Amino acid sequence: MRSALVDGVVLGLQYGLLGVGLTLIYGLAGVLNLAHGQIAVLGAIVVALVVDAGAAAFPAALLGIAAAGAFLLLLDLTLMRAVYRQEGERRVLLGLLLMLGVAFVIDGFLVWRYPVEQLALRVGGDAVPILGVRMTRGSLLASGITVAAGLVLVVFFRYSSLGRGVRSVIQDEEGARLCGVSPAAVRTFVFAMSGVLAGLVGVTRSMTSPIGVNNTISFTILALIVAVVGGLGSVSGAFLAGVLLGVVDRLSSFYIGTYVTTIVLLLCAAVTIVARPSGLLGRSPP
Amino acid sequence: MTVVEESTATTVASPVGQSVGRRLLAYAPILAVAALAALVPLRYSDSGSMMGVVTDGLLFASYAVAFNIIFGSTGQLFLCVGALAGLGGFASAIFSDRVGLPMIPAIVVATLCAALIGGLLAWVSVKRALETIFIGIVTLTFSLSFDNLLLGRRDLTGGETGLFIESGGDTILRERVPAYYVFLGLLVVYLVIFRLLQRSRTGWAFRALRDDKLAAELAGVDVSRYRVFAGTLGSAMFGLTGALYAHSGRGFIGPSTYAFGEVDVRVLVMLAFGGIGSLLGPVVGAATFTWLDEFLIEYRELRLLIYGVVIIVLFLGFRRGVVPVVVDLFHRLPNRQRPR
Repeated sequence: MRSALVDGVVLGLQYGLLGVGLTLIYGLAGVLNLAHGQIAVLGAIVVALVVDAGAAAFPAALLGIAAAGAFLLLLDLTLMRAVYRQEGERRVLLGLLLMLGVAFVIDGFLVWRYPVEQLALRVGGDAVPILGVRMTRGSLLASGITVAAGLVLVVFFRYSSLGRGVRSVIQDEEGARLCGVSPAAVRTFVFAMSGVLAGLVGVTRSMTSPIGVNNTISFTILALIVAVVGGLGSVSGAFLAGVLLGVVDRLSSFYIGTYVTTIVLLLCAAVTIVARPSGLLGRSPP
Repeated sequence: MTVVEESTATTVASPVGQSVGRRLLAYAPILAVAALAALVPLRYSDSGSMMGVVTDGLLFASYAVAFNIIFGSTGQLFLCVGALAGLGGFASAIFSDRVGLPMIPAIVVATLCAALIGGLLAWVSVKRALETIFIGIVTLTFSLSFDNLLLGRRDLTGGETGLFIESGGDTILRERVPAYYVFLGLLVVYLVIFRLLQRSRTGWAFRALRDDKLAAELAGVDVSRYRVFAGTLGSAMFGLTGALYAHSGRGFIGPSTYAFGEVDVRVLVMLAFGGIGSLLGPVVGAATFTWLDEFLIEYRELRLLIYGVVIIVLFLGFRRGVVPVVVDLFHRLPNRQRPR
């Protein structure tokens, strides 16, 4: 029971990080990034390839994370321009469908070129007891990085002017423009940041279990569930929802069984939408 | 987006005051499709695999017509085509082989199940005034849950290995050429239903609420009722198609038969290519992509990539689809009046 709880929190932090990337882009640009998990895995595959080529793990990881960020940055500068020209429901629908297409392109490319490539970063050392639960160094390091990333995000959004600019655009695009914040520049920045976060999830997850093509869809779905439960557009909501769902995930697979667990998580998302579409901490969607 | 576009000349504003001839003319395209498709087995009847391919083409055209009623007519993004069809297929298999119903009542019950679930999804999203994207997410979670249920309840569904269905083993559904004609009949019935809807008061309401929901509501269109109606009818069509498919061919169904990546994505691409909201769009789309799949059969591992590129290109630059563009061209020919 206790180990399930600790495991759940560790898992949940990563779920949260996964959800944040998705939620930011939706809150800011109205684009539901259905390729989020694919981009996370893309980053991980880049790391694996660079490591295969003989590089050390740390610079390779940085390169992979940067590649994921660059990929979304590129999408913002090219494909998404057509989306921004639309308004309201049409924009949301076009963004969703284009991102679905991008997801298939990445999936198709990975299945075609790197069907068996996997990233498994090994962190050496013995397991360490935390709150009476033995945890591997890998999952400790992964949680450490995730918590650090979360803190950086909180500080960034609260105290930096760019972070406040991002929040102002999420709240009111027109108002932000009047205050001298350029929504387009903020959008480009957030796309790149979301890609970096996705890459970070890909890398940290690979410290506990191998990451390959098979993980793309489940990552996207998890990100979607977390973002929906937390409230689309809410950063703190995504982390709260991530931790909650992580605990639900572990407890449910501990007591009920794995296939029911996925259904339980999906039900959480469906019930949230029906009962409270704005999510745990979200405001009404833009 | 495409959903709100006029389907130009294929929709006749009001059938009142038209001669019988003109009224029948509206069904001529369906007749032409039926006649053309009826000739296909003459060429392929000796090849089992090709008959399978063209029958699958009809199957997907039927899915796409039903999707066209839900998405094309009322703008509800149902990302659970495969799940509802699978509900029909597996329910029919279980009711016939396990419960012991004869095949046809089992198919009817399965169709009702799919209609009930689809109607419920539409009803909930109307009640909660969900936007398109949230309807998409809710239906997607239903799809994924259904998928997990199939894999989890292996005692009923056979899990990953799938299920061989005994019921229907002695019917024409198991013979290649007759089964083709059964599915052709199904498609023709669906197309007639679509055209009947288009020309009725319901079709008028559909167009009104698709163009502008608020204006339609102000004009006295009961938006909720029509959305739930379209959701229920379309879902029943998914269920019936899926159930018939389950009993046909080898009588084998598995999780991949109705998987999201296999069914929903293809249906979406086919409809977008053919023209969302148009009568023959689903048929043209299904025919094109069935042919394309055969053409690309040697590059099987590239299929996903190609579908992704096609989705992007279609929604980026060719949002109207083939059929509306061709119909427009046809009406621009000399001696033809341009509509409106």
